[in-house]
Amino acid sequence: MKTWAIATNTFREAIRDRILYLILVFAIVMIGSSRALSLLTVGSEEKIVKDIGLASISLFGVATAIFVGVGLVFKEIERRTVYTLVSKPIRRSQFILGKYLGLVLVLAVNVAVMTACFYGLLIAKGWMDFAITRAIVLIFAELMLVTAIAILFSSFSTPILSSLFTVTFYIIGHLSWGLLLLADRIQGELGRNVCRLLYRLLPNLEAMNVKGMVVHGIDVPPSQVVFACLYGAAYTVIVLALAVMIFRKRDFL
Amino acid sequence: MKWRRALGPLSLAAAVASASWSWSRLEALRSGEPAGAQVLYLPSGKYLKIISLGYPEVMADIIYIWSIQYYSNYDQSDRFKYLEHIYGGVISELDPRYVDPYLIGAVIMSTEANDDEMALRLLDKGIAANPDEWILPFDAGFLCYDRLKDYPRATRYFEMALESPGAPSVVKRLHAEMYNKMGDKRASLEYWKEVLEGADSDYVRNVSSMHVHDLTIEADLETLRRAVASWRSRYGGTPPDLQALARAGLTDSVPVDPEGNPYRYDRSTGEVTSQSRFKLRRRVGE
Repeated sequence: MKTWAIATNTFREAIRDRILYLILVFAIVMIGSSRALSLLTVGSEEKIVKDIGLASISLFGVATAIFVGVGLVFKEIERRTVYTLVSKPIRRSQFILGKYLGLVLVLAVNVAVMTACFYGLLIAKGWMDFAITRAIVLIFAELMLVTAIAILFSSFSTPILSSLFTVTFYIIGHLSWGLLLLADRIQGELGRNVCRLLYRLLPNLEAMNVKGMVVHGIDVPPSQVVFACLYGAAYTVIVLALAVMIFRKRDFL
Repeated sequence: MKWRRALGPLSLAAAVASASWSWSRLEALRSGEPAGAQVLYLPSGKYLKIISLGYPEVMADIIYIWSIQYYSNYDQSDRFKYLEHIYGGVISELDPRYVDPYLIGAVIMSTEANDDEMALRLLDKGIAANPDEWILPFDAGFLCYDRLKDYPRATRYFEMALESPGAPSVVKRLHAEMYNKMGDKRASLEYWKEVLEGADSDYVRNVSSMHVHDLTIEADLETLRRAVASWRSRYGGTPPDLQALARAGLTDSVPVDPEGNPYRYDRSTGEVTSQSRFKLRRRVGE
């Protein structure tokens, strides 16, 4: 209950910060791009509209996760409201989890409304394909992980540094496959093993990227969606556990 | 005090005017260079894919849309300099499954830049990345047929297209016609018969039946004329009639044309002709 109370409070706070205005921007981008494309492109507009729709859901979500997530814990410390909270019978894990769930709730609302706008446009154009939902589910799994990473950094660093760290993690998460290429080029066994170990340890966000596949009508097996969600959820739990451990060590008194 | 109050709006107006003036000067400086020309100097799509951070498809869309505007600008005389790089090296590397850029790129390469081989290289790349898309080998085949008049090459592409799912009957028709163009009337006839059997519309049925009619006559005439030539070299002179060719084992039988009329034979010249008129050839002026 305490976790839920913190979560709903975080959600309300984000709404007050007009985070949901992003949805309006999304709707404008979607409608504007589909109108502009009919003038500019040759060939199928469907593919481009789907690409832009999925990329916008993902980008607006990542932007929300990073730029709201990095300030969540820090703001409480800076405003000293955290003193009131930690002096109450609330475990620090509940505080971190509550903050995390609050932002996930914001993201869920954001993604749900953006998806509804996107589907509305696709249905109106006669391009609806429910396989797209698989890509959106995985985008949300990725957002959950990115939020956890943002909160982890927020638990011990300033918002600017946390943003930098989270964006770096996001980039690494999409480039981690490069470590396997590097491992093939490295001569020494030790270097190769380090690359392979890092590949295993770092988040692999590409595992949750099937946007291109669904747009091109390539079948994404349900097992792939399930395993990618499981991977994202497990990694999120690990990152949140780390955040809780770090936050527990912090002394506010 | 009044002038102080006016200082803010005046500064703002000056800033707007400066921005507008400097912007127009910058535009004048780069006159002649189309908007976004720097896209031409992008590195290979292989590298762009790395920095696209999971959005290579959107990056491909943007460059493709830009390319259409750029290559349709006829004021730019040297616009084809990086044509193959943009379509074959950037867009197709970013999103290999995106079919439109292969088709549009090939059209620009072939009809605008007059480089059919470049167009075929792009289409080959598209075929390798999209083996299930009949339109790519069909496009390549049509280019070989229509522009290069390279019928054996066109045939190979049409065969590839026929192996892809969903290939429409026009592929079969062109495939059958390529054998005719190569001079293999019998093979063409067999393929046209297949088209006729599988005809899914009155139009296809009508066209293919006319091809079967004409090709049957052409193939029969070819066989009979060859048999007469063999008679000449074996016995000297011309055969007394067409039945003599069959009796001598030079033909399996003596055919009649598709309308049931026997073929005409002129013993004095050895010429074999058809009583029935061609249905299609005459219409297209051949």
